[in-house]
Amino acid sequence: MSDPMRIRASVVGDKVEVKVLMAHPMESGLRKNADGSIIPAHFIDRVVASCKGKTVLAADWGPAVSKNPYLSFRFSGAAKGDMVSVTWTDNKGDTRTDEAAIA
Amino acid sequence: MWKSELAAAILLTLAVGSVHAKDYGIGRPATPGEIAAWDTDVRPDGLGLPKGKGSAAEGEPLYEAQCASCHGSFGESNDYMAIAGGVGTLKSDAPLRTVGSKLDYATTLWDYIQRAMPFTAPKSLTADQTYAITAYVLHLSNIVPLDAVLDQNTLPQVKMPNREGFTLKHGLGSVKGKPDVQNTACMKDCEKTVKVRSELPADFTASMYGDLSQDFRSIATMSKVSTTPTKPAAAVAASPAKLSAQYACSACHGIANKVVGPGMREIAAKYKGHADAEAKLLAKLAAGGAGAWGSVPMPPQAHVPEADRKTLIQWILAGAPD
Repeated sequence: MSDPMRIRASVVGDKVEVKVLMAHPMESGLRKNADGSIIPAHFIDRVVASCKGKTVLAADWGPAVSKNPYLSFRFSGAAKGDMVSVTWTDNKGDTRTDEAAIA
Repeated sequence: MWKSELAAAILLTLAVGSVHAKDYGIGRPATPGEIAAWDTDVRPDGLGLPKGKGSAAEGEPLYEAQCASCHGSFGESNDYMAIAGGVGTLKSDAPLRTVGSKLDYATTLWDYIQRAMPFTAPKSLTADQTYAITAYVLHLSNIVPLDAVLDQNTLPQVKMPNREGFTLKHGLGSVKGKPDVQNTACMKDCEKTVKVRSELPADFTASMYGDLSQDFRSIATMSKVSTTPTKPAAAVAASPAKLSAQYACSACHGIANKVVGPGMREIAAKYKGHADAEAKLLAKLAAGGAGAWGSVPMPPQAHVPEADRKTLIQWILAGAPD
């Protein structure tokens, strides 16, 4: 199981701004290790954010995203105190969900 | 080796003591206000921390406004400005030095933020704001909870993950420490003779900034000294009289009178009217001769450059004018 995400959501104007920091190695599958063999690809390929049961963001990611990715987005239709949850799934099938209250 | 450490300590003590012991007759004691203006450091035990307090939760908006643009919302940023994460990477190939992974005392963080941050407006934060931002930065590294309130008493008690991680067993930490480099002097295959392989022109440094005497700064010590490169004197045709001294002709030949050989003007008189005189004398000068003026031979002068020989002969035949 990987480390928890850091999620911060706050009301900015009439929208909610969400900032997420995911802990993931994001190996592209193109790097080689010290003895020249290829490090197997290991990256997040699906990110879904939801609030009050509705999906507010869904993204297909690939190996070009950096290690420990940082994601920031805004959505409308939520108020202070609501919970935002973010889920990622990687190409090995690992998944993790974390949530935070909107401040 | 411990002796040198002890000696250094004694020297330091003496140096500090002598400030009070000896009056040089200049200056005056610093006022308490002046000392306070300089005495801004914060020590690990909290000495130097001003009164104030702030919580990590209060620090969050401050951090977002003043710090996040460089350090990242979660302190993640890049390798150079990351202030969170990297725990356990210090001994790896890619060490990430952050508050959480490297810092040994939280008070250092407070001191640094207060003095140097934000980068564009250092010293603009109040003590309370600095406590709040310090708490939030520590929270980003999971060292204190979000509701932690830090003040001058609680901040020194924060235990940093790398508190015990520092060592003095290196060259900078102790005279017994292992140095970074091994100075193994190379003492084989040495050059036997010193050869100057290249050098700068003689006046290169003097004229680097032009002629300083042309500088308008009247107080400069160099203002009266010309630093224009001294050009080698143009090849002035040397006077025949000088040539005769240079090649030691005048050691044997007087201008008018005989010394060992005949005087210059005597020669001129003898050959006056001879059209081939110049060629004849030139040949004698190069090969040497004897008999014309006595038994003392005239040694050959082939080492004198031909142009100079010609000048000398023409001068002699003209009557050796001054």
